[in-house]
Formats: sequence, structure tokens, C-alpha cells
Amino acid sequence: MERGVPEEEGGGWRAVHRRLIFFGLVVLFVVQTGLTWTSSTRVAEGRGTLDEAARRGRQVYQEFNCTACHQFYGLGGYMGPDLTNVTRAEGKGPAYAKGIILHGTKRMPALGVSAAQADDLVAYLDAWAASGTYPVRAVNLTPWGTYREMHTTDDR
Amino acid sequence: MTADRDARLFVLLGVGALWAGALFGVVGSWQHVVPGIFDAVPFVKARPLHVSLVVAWIFMAAVGGVYYYLPRLVDAPLHAPRLVRLHLWLWVGTGLAILGSYALGRFGGREYWEFPPWLGAVVAGSWLLLVYNFFRTAFKGKGPWPAYLWMWATGIAFFLFTFLEAYTWLWQRPDDNVVRDLTVQWKAYGALTGSWNMLVYGTSMVVMERISGDRSVARSCTAFLLFALGFTNLLFGWAHHVYPVPSAPWLRILAYAISMTEWIILARIIRQWRHTMQGAIDHRGQLVHRFLYASELWVFLNLGLALLISIPAINLFSHGTHITVAHAMGSTIGINTMILFASVFHLANDARGMPAVRVADTRWGFRLLNGGLMLFWLSLIGAGLVKGWYTVMTDLPFQQIMERVVPFLASFAVWGLVLFMGITLLAWQAVRALWWTAPRSTATTRSPVIITPPPTLQS
Ligand code: HEC
Ligand code: HEM
Repeated sequence: MERGVPEEEGGGWRAVHRRLIFFGLVVLFVVQTGLTWTSSTRVAEGRGTLDEAARRGRQVYQEFNCTACHQFYGLGGYMGPDLTNVTRAEGKGPAYAKGIILHGTKRMPALGVSAAQADDLVAYLDAWAASGTYPVRAVNLTPWGTYREMHTTDDR
Repeated sequence: MTADRDARLFVLLGVGALWAGALFGVVGSWQHVVPGIFDAVPFVKARPLHVSLVVAWIFMAAVGGVYYYLPRLVDAPLHAPRLVRLHLWLWVGTGLAILGSYALGRFGGREYWEFPPWLGAVVAGSWLLLVYNFFRTAFKGKGPWPAYLWMWATGIAFFLFTFLEAYTWLWQRPDDNVVRDLTVQWKAYGALTGSWNMLVYGTSMVVMERISGDRSVARSCTAFLLFALGFTNLLFGWAHHVYPVPSAPWLRILAYAISMTEWIILARIIRQWRHTMQGAIDHRGQLVHRFLYASELWVFLNLGLALLISIPAINLFSHGTHITVAHAMGSTIGINTMILFASVFHLANDARGMPAVRVADTRWGFRLLNGGLMLFWLSLIGAGLVKGWYTVMTDLPFQQIMERVVPFLASFAVWGLVLFMGITLLAWQAVRALWWTAPRSTATTRSPVIITPPPTLQS
């Protein structure tokens, strides 16, 4: 099959099939894209939705490139900790987060964020905290190689 | 008129980007180990400088290759050679603006594209020049497309789509939420790496065809099946990056199922292992082959790792750790960079019409690159295992987990230096071979190594 001059070189039905498969896949992709942009990523009000302050916080997060060192749901740079639940975690909370953002620590530089920006950042962080929990600490495996939390969007 | 000179410049500047990018990688890796070192370039700048420059290398080397090889493959001149120069200078201009914005600490974008968003518009615009030139030229060829043209075409088209999708956050909707933000972002990034892999694997196939003269491989059923499998994964596999994100479960479960189809590729590699090893031994004296064979080893290792971490039960531990970084750099260096070096040396020698770089010139660079990468990669995996275990199984705070991870990061930083030396030696050879001025006339009169179709196919 792989040697010599392949028979399909002259075109014909094989080439047509290829195009059909290709464009069939593209159509499915378009459908999946539509769903991903809408219903498959919809959340209940207050479970990760962004109010005005949180929207501004999102912008500030990008302007200071916090993502270079931090993650949400494990995605981002790895120098600092994941921030998904910091505003609601035991022993932490909004004031704790604001303090670190404004003053830094030994390992996190103070980036020159203003007090108003820090409030917006905390609102943004809190939208994440309301959306779910990360990391998944319970090891509830299924026989399919998945874990139970993957099959639901309920709070864990 | 041909665009060979501009194509070569693309590649040459790409090599420069690789070297500079790797340098910032070294800076960033040491900042994990010795806090406060290299304060002139803090990590918040070093990381985007690193990632953007090395991604620029992948694109510039691949795109330069497309501009150079395409006319030879379809046996017709580029549709608009002048646009190549425009593309090049737009790209260089934006690149400098991006580097400048990082240096000044002006961010505003998202991970991987942290520069202010308006610069992204220029990148997308200049890409349209490639889209236009590629498709107008590719359709000049006769007969059905070989697999590599399909790969390039999908890589080029999908890069544009995913790049635009990565900017959909600019379009603010009333029901915006963080779950959607993150899911769409990683949908775009998943397909983004898929699209540059298409460009790079297509290039690998082209280089293979040109050095072996065997046209059948890129036209075989197997080649198309592998392409279809890769394409399906590009389209539907991205949600393995977001298993823990609470989007609709079907997205993530579909991605799991699709990702597992890649075991087929792994099985095929194992089945052909002996054959591949024999090939590697037979061709060990040939420059371009060496890099291509090395890339096969890295495909095997990184595909194995990727398959394991795509199993959710394992992903639970590996996600959000340096295993992801091992996966990212293992693939971009071991596979993409290895193939692109093969292409760069092939292109340089071909354009020059003589072997400007020989095996002996690259021996140490090759050894340091591969050996360094292996230990660099293993160190990252070690770091990830430790971090993942303590994160999931204990309540230790972040700082205490990191204390246990740092020894692995120190090893990572040391082997990164070795890797950097390898890259430096190879980059130097590439620059040496690419840096010359062709007499104006040769490019048009000489047509190097065009593979003539077998007589049966010439109409
Ligand atoms: C150069 C890397 C770096 C950058 C940039 C950075 N951080 Fe941090 N951040 C860290 C590190 C490291 C820690 C852990 C500090 C410690 O434990 O001493 C941290 C800790 C935090 C914490 C406390 C987390 C916890 O669970 O205890 C918050 C909140 C935080 N950072 C927010 C931000 C925000 C918001 C930004 C952007 C304005 C930002 N950081 C930018 C490195 C960084
Ligand atoms: C010379 C040696 C290199 C060193 C020391 C190095 C170091 C680093 C560091 C420290 C990070 C950031 C990890 C973090 O967020 O904590 C990183 C990320 C990355 N590097 Fe490198 N790097 C090197 C070479 C390269 C090369 C040659 C490439 C590709 C051609 C590459 C591709 C990447 C990519 C894609 C990421 C992003 C990973 C992610 O987000 O998970 N690196 N590298």
C-alpha cells in the first residue's frame, strides 16, 4: 500500500471521500463551538458570573499579568499558588487576598496595584471562588478512568 | 522573482528568536530556584518573553519553510512573492512592538498572548497574507493534494480561527462568566497547538520526501488516516486541558474519548520500532535524518506522557503541576524544534546548493540538546509528581509543598543550561549557513532539487 505509485493519485472517488470526511468534521466542530460558547458553559447567577467590579478586576489581572505566576483551576504559570478559592478558603479570605495583592510577600513582588484596583481584583477572585472548587481533593474514581466530579457541575 | 530570500530571512530571524527565547527561559528557571536573581528581568516579564519568543521560532521556521518549499512542491511560482516580504516585515514590526511592551511591563492580553490586544490584530492581519498566498499557490498544483498540503492548509486556516477565538473575551456579553472564559480560552489554545503541529508535521513529511525522493509516503492511505486522526484530535481533544473546570460534562468526556484514539498512533510507533531504529542506525551519518529520527523518539515519549495525563484519574494528580510544563516543553523542543532544525539545515543547504552544514558541525549541539532535554524533562516530571501528590493527598500549604519541589526545579534549571548550550551551538550553525547573500540571478535560474513526478503522472 505504501510503496510504488498509489492508485488514488489520479483523483476520483477517494479524493471526494476525503473532502467529505474533512468537511463533515468541520461541521461537527462548528456545532461544538456554538455549544461551548453558549449553553455548555452557562452558570447560575452568582456562580461565576461577573459584575462590574469583577469585570474591571479581570482587566487589572491581565494588565498586571498575574497569570505569569498564578493559575485558576490549575491553568496558568507555576511560580505562585492556584487562586481559584483564595477568597473563600479557610484561614484566608478577601482581606487576606487584598493584603497580599497590595503589599506582596517575600516571594511575591508588590506590583504597584492601587487600593481600588485591589478591590476589583478581589471581586474578580471571588467570582472564581463562587464557581467551584479546585483542586479536587477527593479521589472518587469510576471504572472508566474518570473521577466523579468530572461528571457534574454541582458544587463539590 | 522568487521569495526565497525572504523565506530564508523568516527562518533566520526565527532562529534568533529561539536563542533569545531560550535565554529568557534560563532566566525564568533560575528565578524559581534563587528568588530575586536577575532582577532586571523579573519573572513576570521573563515568562512572556520566553514563551512568545519560542512560539515565534516555531511559526517563523515553519512559515519560512512553507514559503520556500511550496513553489517547489507544486512546481509553480508563489502566487504573490512580494507579499512574503510584507508579511515578514509586518511580523518583525509587531514582534518588536510585543517585545517592547513586555520590556515596559505593558500587558493586557491573556496567557501566551499577554501583549496589548491591538497588536494581536496586526498578527492576524499579517497571517491573512499567508492564507492568501498559500491557497492561491497550492491550487496551482496538479492532481489531488498529498497529505502534507492538507496538513499545511488546516494548520494555516485553523491558526487564524483559534487565534481569533482566543480573543473572543474582548466581546463582552451580559452572561459572561469565569467558567466560559476559561473553557473557551483553552479550547482556543488546544486547537492552537494542534494547528502549529499540523504545520510542523507537514514540514517533516515534506523534508522526508525531499531527502528520500519517495513520493508515495505522503500519498498513502496511512498518511491520510493519520492526518484524519490528528485533525479529529485538534478539533475535539482540547477539553482534556479543562477536566476540573465545571463546564458541561459532555465536553470533557468527549475529549477524554477522543484523546484515547491516539493510543493507535502509539501502538503504530511501537510496532515499527525496530524498523525505525534500523533506519536511525543506517542514516546516522546524515544530518537531516538525525534530527528527524530524534524527533521520533520524542514523539514516542511525549505522546506516552500525553496519553497518560489525558486519563482523568491520572490528570487529577498531574494537572496544574510541572508535568504540564514537561509536556509543553517536551513537545515544543523534542518534537517541534527537532523537526524544524531538520528543516532549517535542509533548507539552508538546499538554498545554497552545497552542504554548508555537515553532521560534524552539529554533533555537540545535537548531543547537548537531546541529552540536556532528557534530564530537563525528567526533572520537570519529578517536580510535578511531588507537587501533585502533596496537593491532592495532603493539606500542606503551598509554600511547604514548594520546598519539597525546589530540588527538582534546581535540577531542571541546571539541565536547562546544558540544553541552552546545545541550542546555542545549533543556532550558530544555522545562522552561519543561512547568512549569505545570493547573487540576484541564481534564485531564478537554478531550481534546486525539485522532485519530478514519475512519468506516468505527467499529463
Ligand atoms: C512573580 C510571580 C507573581 C506575580 C506576577 C503575582 N504573584 Fe501572587 N503570589 C506569588 C507567589 C510566589 C505567592 C505565594 C506567596 C507566599 O506564599 O509567600 C503569591 C500569592 C498570592 C496570593 C495569596 C494566595 C494564597 O492562597 O495564599 C494572592 C491572592 C495573589 N498572589 C494574587 C496575585 C495577583 C492578583 C497578582 C496580579 C496583580 C499576582 N498575585 C501576581 C507570585 C506572584
Ligand atoms: C533553554 C532552556 C529552557 C529553559 C531553561 C526553559 C524554561 C522555562 C520556564 C521556567 C517556563 C515557565 C514555567 C512556569 O510557568 O513555571 C517555561 C515555559 C515554557 N517553555 Fe521553556 N525553557 C527552555 C527552552 C524552551 C524551548 C526551546 C521551547 C520551545 C521551542 C520552550 C517552550 C516553552 C513553553 C511552550 C512554555 C509554556 C509552558 C506552560 O505554560 O505550561 N522552552 N520554560
